[in-house]
Amino acid sequence: MKHARTASLFVLSAIVASASLLATSGCGTVNTTSTRTAPADSAIDAKTRVNDLFQEIFLSAKEVRMNRTKGGPMEVQVDVENNGFSYRTFAYRFDWVDASGNVLQSQTSVWKSTNVPSGGSTVIRSVAPTDDAADFRLQIRRADT
Amino acid sequence: MRTTTIAASLSLAVLALAACERARYVETGSPEGIISVNDVDFQDILKASSGMLESLGETGVLKTARHKPAQLIIGDIVNDTSSRFDVGELTYRMREQLVNSGQAAVVTTFGNTPEDKQAQEVLRREKFLKGETAEPLPDPDFSLTGKITQVKRTAGDTKQATYTFRLTLTNLRTGIEAWTKTVDMTKLGNKNAVGF
Repeated sequence: MKHARTASLFVLSAIVASASLLATSGCGTVNTTSTRTAPADSAIDAKTRVNDLFQEIFLSAKEVRMNRTKGGPMEVQVDVENNGFSYRTFAYRFDWVDASGNVLQSQTSVWKSTNVPSGGSTVIRSVAPTDDAADFRLQIRRADT
Repeated sequence: MRTTTIAASLSLAVLALAACERARYVETGSPEGIISVNDVDFQDILKASSGMLESLGETGVLKTARHKPAQLIIGDIVNDTSSRFDVGELTYRMREQLVNSGQAAVVTTFGNTPEDKQAQEVLRREKFLKGETAEPLPDPDFSLTGKITQVKRTAGDTKQATYTFRLTLTNLRTGIEAWTKTVDMTKLGNKNAVGF
C-alpha cells in the first residue's frame, strides 16, 4: 500500500515537472533556421576554461570567427547559443592581446550586457583597439535569472 | 530546546546579513553596478564609447585624413535626455584611446570657443612675432559632433527607456559626413536595481 502511494506521488511529480518544463520552454523560445551547415571560412579553434558548469550547459560559445576589418584592426565574432528553457541575460568582455600575448589597455574593453532567448543565439563581437592586436580573450558571465 | 535556540539565532543572523549590503568597491562599468531605468548609467557611457571606438577602427576613416595622425576637433555633443551627465565622460574616453594610440590628434586651439584658450593665445602671439598674417595653425581634418536622445514608454508600472548615442565625423576639407554611428541602449523595469 505504502509502495503504491510512493509510486503515485512519483508519477504525479514527474507529470507536474514535465508540464512546467513545457510551459517554460514555450514562452519566448525561438526556432532558428540557417542554411550554413559547415563552419565559416574565418572560423578558428578556441578553448574554454569552465568555472560555471550551468553556464557551459545552457549558454555556450559555439563558433568563433576572426578576420581583419577594412580599417585594419582585427574583428572577432562569437556565436553564443542558449540551450536552456528561459531567456538568459549575460555580460561579456573582450580583452585584446598583442603578438607577444600582452594585454592591450583599451577603452573598448568594457563589460557589455545582452540577452538571448531560449533556443536562440546571438553574435557578440569586438573590434581590436589597434592594428597590433593579434588575439583576444573573452569572459562571459551569466545573470542569476 | 537548546538546538532550537541556536537554529533561531543562526536564521536571524542570516536574515540580518541578507538585509543590509555593505558598501564595497566594484569595477567601473561592471555588470554588478546599479541599473537605472530612467537614467543613463556610467556603464551605458562606457558601452557607447566602446561602440563608437570600434566603429571608427573598423571603418578606418581616420586613416583617410591628410594629416597623420588625423587632426580632430571636438564639436558640440548635445545631451537631449532627461538624465543629467557630462558628455565629456563619453568624449574623453574616446580621445584617450585615439590620441594615446596615435590614431588621432585633438586640436584644442581651434575656433571662437577653443577648449584651451591659453594655448590659442600663445599660438597667436608666436604668429604675430613671426609676422605671419595667415592662419597656418591649426588645420584640422575632421570635426566630431553628436547628440544623445531618449525614447521613454510605460505599460502599467513597467517603464522602458531607450537611450541613443549618435556621433558624426565631418570631413572639414569637403564638408561632407565621413562617418556616423549610433549606439542604442534599452532598459526595462519598474524600479532601479543592482546588476548581476
